[in-house]
Amino acid sequence: MRVLRTIVQTLFLAGVVAVMIRGAMGLTTSTCGTYCPFAGLVALYSLLRYKTYTCAMNELHVALFVSLVALTLITKKSFCSWVCPLGTVQEWIGKAGRKVFGRYVRPPIAVDRILLNLKYVVLVLVLGLTWTVWQGHLGFRAYDPFYIIFTGFQGHETLWFSIFIGIGVLVAAFFVPMVWCRYLCPLSAVMDPMSRAGFLRLRRNPGLCTDCGICDEACPHGIRVATADEVTARNCTNCLECAEVCPEKGALELTLFGK
Amino acid sequence: MKKVVIIPAAVLLLILVAFATTGAYRVPTLEIEFVKERPAVVASVEYTVDGLTCRGKSRGFAGMISGVEGVVSLTTYVRTNTAIVEYDPALTNPVEIETAFEGPIIHEGEEDFLFKAKK
Repeated sequence: MRVLRTIVQTLFLAGVVAVMIRGAMGLTTSTCGTYCPFAGLVALYSLLRYKTYTCAMNELHVALFVSLVALTLITKKSFCSWVCPLGTVQEWIGKAGRKVFGRYVRPPIAVDRILLNLKYVVLVLVLGLTWTVWQGHLGFRAYDPFYIIFTGFQGHETLWFSIFIGIGVLVAAFFVPMVWCRYLCPLSAVMDPMSRAGFLRLRRNPGLCTDCGICDEACPHGIRVATADEVTARNCTNCLECAEVCPEKGALELTLFGK
Repeated sequence: MKKVVIIPAAVLLLILVAFATTGAYRVPTLEIEFVKERPAVVASVEYTVDGLTCRGKSRGFAGMISGVEGVVSLTTYVRTNTAIVEYDPALTNPVEIETAFEGPIIHEGEEDFLFKAKK
């Protein structure tokens, strides 16, 4: 499982890095933003209101966003742990942090619950600003670590600020796993309600589970797998790290439509 | 745990669907009419233009060809870097229009080239 996921993650990361390098060499005008599904959500507004696209948005963004919705309904937020290059980089940095500290460092549960809702505030702010102050333009790009990092910190008027955001997120991911995805990513906020309905989800077999709790410790999102019959948590990205480390074969199984 | 392959399969399938359906419909990024009354005879030329990457650049492109007498309208599609220009063939031609948008412009005191037609 982990090998397959790592291959998929590496392919998408390599693709985005290739676009970044080709852009730096002047071989393409595409950027990582060309393939960002979040821009599709922003594009829908201008498409509905002005019957056209603003900024650099186009049909591909909308198509990718619709595909993302379908993917989330089928496989929960697997986009985050299988596709998103920023999620991949954060995950790998988080694992490095885990090796150093011996375990994932997590905020206290009460604090975590509050922080988990921050991304909804970010989503409302980003959409609100895009549709008012930024007049449909992708103003969020200047603050988006995905765009900042995978454009090689290029194309921003305030370079020091971009470096601060990009490096800041990566350093923070060393101490708090998946910090951007868990607490701040507006695309993650969009996917949350659909993710709850995801057809492909993990089910715990209480008859085989020994309640060892290893799965809880392995989850980069801090989900309590060991006490759930079925993992319906909005933050579950189907990374399957819990199933990977589970010592009891069959105790954690992926189910599709409950089967 | 064989069901795990559903995830990469779904990712691949949906990305393919996204790219395949993108070409099925086109929404113009910018549409501009330069004349109040269209001439009796109108010809059209399609350019693929390096640098035509957003709505702002489309407006810049429009500015550069607006001075060419006989240009009737402009429609741009930034996903494919396409510009479709309608013109009065009695007054101008595709080469003259291309020369107009390829510049150069003066940017910060120096000559700069924003657009280049792909041959």
